[in-house]
Amino acid sequence: MYTSVHTDRRDFIKKMAVLSAMTAAAGMFPGIVFAEEQERGIPADANLDWKKAPCRFCGVGCSVLIGTENGKAIAVKGDPKSPVNKGLCCVKGYHSILALYGKDRLTKPLVKKNGKYVETSMKEALDLVASKMQKTIKDHGKDAVSIYGSGQWTIPDGYVASKLFKGCIGTNNVEANARLCMATAVTGFLTSFGLDEPMGCYEDIDYADTFVLWGNNMAEMHPVLFSRLLDQRQKRGVKIIDFATRTTRTSMAADKSILFNPQSDLAVGNAICYEIINNGWMNKTFVEEHCNFSKGLTKMGYGLEDNYKFADKPETIDFEDYKTFLEDYTPEKASKISGVSVKDIKYLAAHFGDPNTKVMSFWCMGPNQHSRGTWMNNIIYNIHLLTGKISSPGNSPFSLTGQPSACGTVREVGTLTHKLPHGVVMNKEHRELAAKIWDVPVENIDPKPTYHTVEMFRALDRGDIRFMWIQVTNPMVTMPKLKRYRDGAKKEGRFIVVSDIYPTPTTDIADVILPSAMWIEREGMYGNSERRTQYFEQMVEPPGEAMSDTMQLLEVAKRMGFEKQFYYKDETHIEEIYTEYRKHHEGKKHNMAPLEVLKAQSGAMWPYVDGKSTQWRFNAKYDPACTNGKDFHFYGKKDGKAVIWQRPYEPAAEEPDAEYPYWLGTGRVVEHWHTGSMTRRIPVLHQAMPHAYVELNPGDAKRLQIRTGDMVKLTTRRGEITLPASVNERAVPAPMQVFVPFFDEKMLINEITLDSFCPISKEPDYKKCAVNIEKA
Amino acid sequence: MISILVLLFIGFLINWTYSYYKGLEEAYIPIHDVKEIPIIPSEKKVFERAEYALDYLNMPRDENHQRTLETYYDNRAYAGAPPSIPHPVKEKLGIGGNICLQCHQNGGFVDKFNAYAPVTPHPEMINCKQCHAEQQTQTEFVASNFYKRPAPEVGNNNALPGSPPAIPHQLQMRENCLSCHAGPAAVKELWVDHPERINCRQCHVPMRQEVENVQRFIRTNNGTQ
Repeated sequence: MYTSVHTDRRDFIKKMAVLSAMTAAAGMFPGIVFAEEQERGIPADANLDWKKAPCRFCGVGCSVLIGTENGKAIAVKGDPKSPVNKGLCCVKGYHSILALYGKDRLTKPLVKKNGKYVETSMKEALDLVASKMQKTIKDHGKDAVSIYGSGQWTIPDGYVASKLFKGCIGTNNVEANARLCMATAVTGFLTSFGLDEPMGCYEDIDYADTFVLWGNNMAEMHPVLFSRLLDQRQKRGVKIIDFATRTTRTSMAADKSILFNPQSDLAVGNAICYEIINNGWMNKTFVEEHCNFSKGLTKMGYGLEDNYKFADKPETIDFEDYKTFLEDYTPEKASKISGVSVKDIKYLAAHFGDPNTKVMSFWCMGPNQHSRGTWMNNIIYNIHLLTGKISSPGNSPFSLTGQPSACGTVREVGTLTHKLPHGVVMNKEHRELAAKIWDVPVENIDPKPTYHTVEMFRALDRGDIRFMWIQVTNPMVTMPKLKRYRDGAKKEGRFIVVSDIYPTPTTDIADVILPSAMWIEREGMYGNSERRTQYFEQMVEPPGEAMSDTMQLLEVAKRMGFEKQFYYKDETHIEEIYTEYRKHHEGKKHNMAPLEVLKAQSGAMWPYVDGKSTQWRFNAKYDPACTNGKDFHFYGKKDGKAVIWQRPYEPAAEEPDAEYPYWLGTGRVVEHWHTGSMTRRIPVLHQAMPHAYVELNPGDAKRLQIRTGDMVKLTTRRGEITLPASVNERAVPAPMQVFVPFFDEKMLINEITLDSFCPISKEPDYKKCAVNIEKA
Repeated sequence: MISILVLLFIGFLINWTYSYYKGLEEAYIPIHDVKEIPIIPSEKKVFERAEYALDYLNMPRDENHQRTLETYYDNRAYAGAPPSIPHPVKEKLGIGGNICLQCHQNGGFVDKFNAYAPVTPHPEMINCKQCHAEQQTQTEFVASNFYKRPAPEVGNNNALPGSPPAIPHQLQMRENCLSCHAGPAAVKELWVDHPERINCRQCHVPMRQEVENVQRFIRTNNGTQ
């Protein structure tokens, strides 16, 4: 108040008024003064200890506070300090801790002997795993052993897995289930920008005027972010446009819902580009300064046959070529392919085209689990690049993730066959850097990628792979065309190790089951969709002999003779691993925040430079890695320019015909996460969504005389499955389409899905195959 | 001649426009500003339902239809967890929003369920089904070993005999006291007998853990400033 001396009298009076109001306010809260006295005599149950952790489930990466008492997790609340969720969670997050306490939790290692599982000690089980791996390498070569991990791996889990397999053993047989959900997002980013992961961040939500959701049921799959959208609509009247193949909760909440035929998003996306260019909405200076045009190969196939190979041949084109190409995608022509009205295509285009509107695109599994997924990702970037609506607050093409560390562990640590923590195995410099940090001879790292996920399971079936270690994932529920891969895994002469916390269909095929410590029973980090790395400490003890996946890998590595590389001390191994991992990413383009920072706050976003998270990459105002002196610098590409790709529409691998006249799409529900192995053990969630179902269009249901609850037989070329019908319930598919959630291990929809994949990303298309339905 | 006509016409236009706007003004019914209770921004939510406080005070208790603490906690995985939806929801498609708020914004007696609808403390959050799930069955997938800690007891967390009890639960998303502690849907044991004293947190303070620990204040310059 002393500083107000030199201000004028009126100001002074104002300030005095404020001050007296504040004094009065303070007087209203005597509790502050008596806090200590208040606390005395309070029952013991107020002594909850709250600690922060990123949520165990999806890729949004909410920060939750977990209340523990007497060594047990007993309550959850949203972390109000988190810039991600700002104190809010979803039903899964609020009940996440119950996933620790299912009665059938695995607590002891189990080894299969004469067809039966026998309990053993952790030491013996790990000895067996190490010796089996060594013997397989001796008998069948290093490429006969493999590890299949997950986007639920913590960063240290994935890092030591990669170091052991790629650096020490010398095989690129490292894959993760993120291949089934995020591989397309990666190839999308790499082809368009040369660097993975979104340029923007969640804060874009607070600035954007229009949100376009591309085949993305956000209300159920990313509910906390969707609530941020709804909040903005209440405060600022933003527009939410749902562009999807099925009417969902998101469509109902959106301002506008536009339905398109499966696979035709490619045509509509191109039509939007056509409209932008032909209406003069293109941001010419941005495109001239910051964009190149390219085209790749077309008619790539669908990867249905074993040993399918594809390498794109990019070719530079000019703007006129691209413009001519778009002539095939006038709104009228795209409307014929997509079933979307010309008016709606123009409506969408106008939102992108309006120079005064900030547009944020969201997508997740729709454009990713897509047999032309990389193309669809490219097309969304094309739209944002043509209008210059990118890398600035509110203008943001944002690719969402489904797993808590799909970005952190799979994409950043690089637990994919072609990847290294920094760069790819094909690149000599990248191999040299990794070998140096890993303390292994550079020759150890094989310059040739081996198998992507689908091909890895095919190799297991064929016998090229003999040993597979599966951690934190459930491929015997999630692999498409499941039967082939389950039968293959069960063949003689295969050895499968599964690390998990509960029995699943995947532990059913295991020779050794290792009990894992999950989430807050150990220490670790996750990386979410907005490049945010978050740390969590151990809060409770794991049950029985359960051990973290990191520790399991370290123990096996040491048994295999790699003590030198795996030198970490038991008490500090997570910190040591993270510090070593950070070395791979040094530099302004990808620097990771030090551990102290992650411990002190709700995570930090890389590139973390000079003590600051980078919110908008490639934008000189926010990103210190920009060096070209212009407003934007897409430094992932050599010439600093992003690529606008000429990508046509091509049909799906299997489309409905006379014999199988319906489309089958699969997906998720808000209550369950992934394969339900955790969420189904949470009573509230199981009771809300006890089993899978098949959603029918009411018109189709009426014709077939099917009502909700009736059993329906679905038949595809891969087999058949019977499920209860759901008509006019959670969501409504378009006519001649059905939808089935995949979480239910008792009703495995993946028995009948197709294993076609995007030839560039090798990610399967779970959203499209042909099916016949009849009343069972 | 033409110029006179033009002048007349302009005159007519001006007159017409004037009377048109005049008419508009008359049709406009000024809305009187509702006199708001002066509030502290950070405490705003406490007062959200303050306009009903006197009604709550004068409302007779309907003992037959009051909820009890037991049923209240039965519907939650732990004290503080979002309650699940105990009744069938007709509207399956959609996020909840106004469909839920019809009954849960202000409450009231629902014949069908023979109960008063509980009032939500956060009506501004409209994606209701994000956190509240309708239960379809009572069976379990597998049994759970989760320890459901007994909820805080009511009425014994006073500092001194007779002093106002501290708030034993999290305030996050439950800042509006009256939505749960007053009105016919309030839980029997949680009913407050003085809802008209709307500035609840004047006397009732949150228990610790809600607030961050601050170091004991030490004056360094010994008051020389």
